[in-house]
Amino acid sequence: MRGQRLNKILLYNEGADQALNIEEIAEYLRKKLAKVGVEVRGDPFAFYLLQNKILDYARRIASIKIQEATRRMVFGQEPLYGEIEYEKRRILGKTRAFGILYDGLELQRIFWELIPGEERRLEFVHIFFTNRLFATWEESDKRYHARTSVYGMPSIISTTGVVEAPAKPREYYLLKQQYEMLRRDLLELKDAFKGRFIDYEDERLTEVMKGYAMQAVFYSVLGEPFCEDKGCRLYNAHWQEELIFAQLGSEYEFCPRHTKFLEDEEWALRR
Amino acid sequence: MVEKFSPVGEKEVTRAIASEFVTQFLEYVESDCIIVGGGPSGLMAGRNLARAGKKVLIVERNNYIGGGFWIGGYLMNKVTIRHPAERVLDELGIPYKEVTPGLLVADGPHACSKLIASACDSGVKFANMTIFDDLVLKEDGRVAGVVINWTPISALPREITCVDPVALESTIVMDATGHDAQVVRKLEERGLIKTKGFGAMWVERSEDLVIEYTGEVHPGLIVIGMAVTTVYGLPRMGPTFGAMLLSGEVGAEIALEKLHERAKVK
Repeated sequence: MRGQRLNKILLYNEGADQALNIEEIAEYLRKKLAKVGVEVRGDPFAFYLLQNKILDYARRIASIKIQEATRRMVFGQEPLYGEIEYEKRRILGKTRAFGILYDGLELQRIFWELIPGEERRLEFVHIFFTNRLFATWEESDKRYHARTSVYGMPSIISTTGVVEAPAKPREYYLLKQQYEMLRRDLLELKDAFKGRFIDYEDERLTEVMKGYAMQAVFYSVLGEPFCEDKGCRLYNAHWQEELIFAQLGSEYEFCPRHTKFLEDEEWALRR
Repeated sequence: MVEKFSPVGEKEVTRAIASEFVTQFLEYVESDCIIVGGGPSGLMAGRNLARAGKKVLIVERNNYIGGGFWIGGYLMNKVTIRHPAERVLDELGIPYKEVTPGLLVADGPHACSKLIASACDSGVKFANMTIFDDLVLKEDGRVAGVVINWTPISALPREITCVDPVALESTIVMDATGHDAQVVRKLEERGLIKTKGFGAMWVERSEDLVIEYTGEVHPGLIVIGMAVTTVYGLPRMGPTFGAMLLSGEVGAEIALEKLHERAKVK
C-alpha cells in the first residue's frame, strides 16, 4: 500500500455525456470523504488553456488517434488539416461530436499538462470526465483495448468507454454480425437489448460513474483502484452485466474491506 | 383520335442530341464547382450550390444518378435516415415514417428521384457515363479541375484502345465518390496528402463525425459524404443516409465561402 494523504479532489468535464451530472458526483464524494475538499472545475481547456496554445494542443491530440486496433501506433506523424480543425472545435467547445479512438496514455499525458504545476502533486486527485474514447495497447495479444478509465495523474474516465469498452451480452454480438451483413440499422438491435448495457445518455450513467470516481480516489490513496469482490463498486468489470451489478445491482456499495476504509473519516488524510 | 408524332427524321434527332450536348459541354468546360460522384451527398451539395446561383457540374461514372440512395440494406428499397436529417426530407417533399424515435424510413426510389429532380430544377448539370481520371493542378498546387473520360473506355484493355481524356476547369472540386475517395486518392498518388483509410464500423458515431470532418482537404478540394471516412480514418458508415445529405449541405456552405474568398482574390 502506498498510503498517500489526500487534500482535494478536482473534477473536470471535457465534453462528457450530457446525462452525466458531475455536481451529483461531487456531492457523493463529499459524503464519502467528508474531510476531503471536492471542487468541480468544468471544461479543463476553458479553465487552463492559453489562447495561443490551442492550435498546438489540437495538433497533438489529433496526432494520438489510433488508426488500427491491431497495429501499435508510432506517434508523431503530422495530422491532416481537417483533423486539427476538428480538435480545435472540440477544444473551443464548438462541438461535442465524438467517435475517434485515442491512445489513453498519450491523452492522459496531454491532460496532465493542463494541470497547473502547483497542483501536480499526489495529494490532489484530478479526475477528467470525457466523451473521448480511448484504448491502451496490450502486449499480450498485440492489440488496443478500449477502456472506460485510465487511472493516474490525472485519472481519465470516459462516458463513451463505459458504453463501448465492457462487453455487451454475447447474443448481442451474434445478432450484430447478422445486422451488419444485412445492413440493418443497429438502433433496432439496441432497442431489443435495452437496459442490459449502459447506453449513451443513459439515466443510470451518473450513478455508475460515482463508482469509477471512487476507483480513481482509491488509486490515488492506495495505489490500487480495483477490488476482486464482484459486488463492490471497485470491481474491474469487463462485461456490462458485471458493471451493472457492481454499480447498481449489488446489495452493498463496497466490500467489507473497502467499507472499513471509508468508515474511517481520517483514512484518506493519513500518510 | 390517336395523337400523331411529328414527322422527324433520324438526322434531326442526332443533330438535336449532339448540338445540345456540345453546347452544354462547352459551357461547362469551366464552372464554379465540379462534383465527382452523383450520390446523395454530391446531389445535395450540387443542389444547394446551384440554388445559390453557382455553376455546378456533377460527374458520374454510371448512366444513372443517385448512387446507393435508390436502395437500402440487403437490396431492399427502403432507406433509413436518422434525426435531424429528416428536415432535408421535409424540404424535398419526401414522405417518411418514424420507426423508432430518431430513426426514419423512406421509400428509396421516391427519395432518390425527388433529390435528383430537385438538383436538376436548381440548375445542376450532369456528365454521366463519365469517369474521373485525374485532377487538374495549378502551379501553386491548388486543385483547379478534373480530367475525365468516357466510362466504357475504362472497361477496354489498354492494348486495343487509346483514348486520351479531356480536362474541365473549376474553382472548386468536390470528392463525393464514397468510400473509394477517388479524387483524394489522386492527390495521395502524387504524395500531396496521406489518407487514413476507414476504421471499424461504428454507425452511431460515424454520422456525426462525417459532418464534423466535411471540408477542404487540400486547397480547392472539398471532401464530402462517405469519402470523408476514408480520408480521415473515421468509423465506416452504416446504411443510413442522413450524414450524406447533411454532409452535402455542409460541403456546399464551405464551397460558397471558398468561392467568395476566391472571387475577392481575383
